[in-house]
Amino acid sequence: MALSTHTTTTGFLLPSIHSAPPFFTQQPHPASLSIATEQWIQIILKYARHRRLFTVRVEDSEALGNDWDEILRNERINRKLIPSYLSYILAQMVSQNLAVYEPPKQDRSILIYWRLPEEWAEVLYEWVSSSGNLNTIMTFYEITDPPVESPLSGLPIPLLRQAITLLSKSNRAQIIAISEGEGVRFFPTTGKA
Amino acid sequence: MGGNQSVPKITAQDWAILDLKLQRDKVKQYQKNLQAILDREEVIAKQHLAAGHKDRALVALRRRKYQQGLLLKTDGQLENLQQLVSTIEFSLVEVSVLHGLKQGNEVLKELHKEMNPESVERLLEETAEAREYQREIDEMLANNLTLDEEDAVQAELRALQADVQAETVSSRDVHLPSAPMNEPVAGPEEEVDRDPARVAVTA
Repeated sequence: MALSTHTTTTGFLLPSIHSAPPFFTQQPHPASLSIATEQWIQIILKYARHRRLFTVRVEDSEALGNDWDEILRNERINRKLIPSYLSYILAQMVSQNLAVYEPPKQDRSILIYWRLPEEWAEVLYEWVSSSGNLNTIMTFYEITDPPVESPLSGLPIPLLRQAITLLSKSNRAQIIAISEGEGVRFFPTTGKA
Repeated sequence: MGGNQSVPKITAQDWAILDLKLQRDKVKQYQKNLQAILDREEVIAKQHLAAGHKDRALVALRRRKYQQGLLLKTDGQLENLQQLVSTIEFSLVEVSVLHGLKQGNEVLKELHKEMNPESVERLLEETAEAREYQREIDEMLANNLTLDEEDAVQAELRALQADVQAETVSSRDVHLPSAPMNEPVAGPEEEVDRDPARVAVTA
């Protein structure tokens, strides 16, 4: 059985192991299970980065028509990832700090850290200073949905909040909140931070 | 990395700006909604036409037209909001510029107190007097030197004149050709050399 890589319609290259039927079943043997789970985690991270997706839910393996179809199913070999295996993979990702359960205190959906919150904080600060928005008040909506595509478009609000909190620790951001909503102001560094 | 001292306080203007920006965001989202509805109505109209319900298609198109008008109006409101936000931010900048100017003015006034025109004039006069004084001293010293030098120079001149006269006398003696000691004999080269010399002198 010759395995081959496959490029999806969105231009994502699936590794050859994705074409192997056993890859889609949860292996009983611990060693092969850990190898297979590692591979799945890598695929999920890469795909999330490629398509800028932030959330995976167990429901995505149960129904068709969502963003993860290309990964969680392989029509050519008539296999798909069953929900319990996906739930196990999600738990593994959270334990490796590659994701968090979002909203918290449930285990059906995660927020993926294909980029760590610290890295997001840096990217956010870079974008704010290069777009000339230092020292001005910005709303969260302005950052996640700018009229011009930015590296931060579509960032989920919890992740944005984490990045802003990190920046406020180094005195580069300040959250301002009123009853109607929230805003944030970024400051130029004096070079010491 | 202790407290928040380096972070400026949030002023009332900041609340106002945040409020306006939130309103602007709401209007933008409303516009997105309207655009989605417009597209959907177009699809519905087409479906009705395909099914042969011309009147229903017309109703859908009329609804769509009305919503297009709403979209234009919200564009105008959005522009108003944007202008207001820009004006507020600009006047904040103006205020800080004025503040800077005022501070600079204060500093300048303080400096001027130390530097009033009378004291400067007095200082310049004193400097001019000192310069005059120095010039006089220089001149006096210069004159003295010239008188002394004059005597020395005269003495030197006389000594030099005497020297020069002595030299010219002795040099005249030296320049006279020496009288031949031997008979003129054509032989060694030295005598041959002397012949043309003697010929030149007698000529």
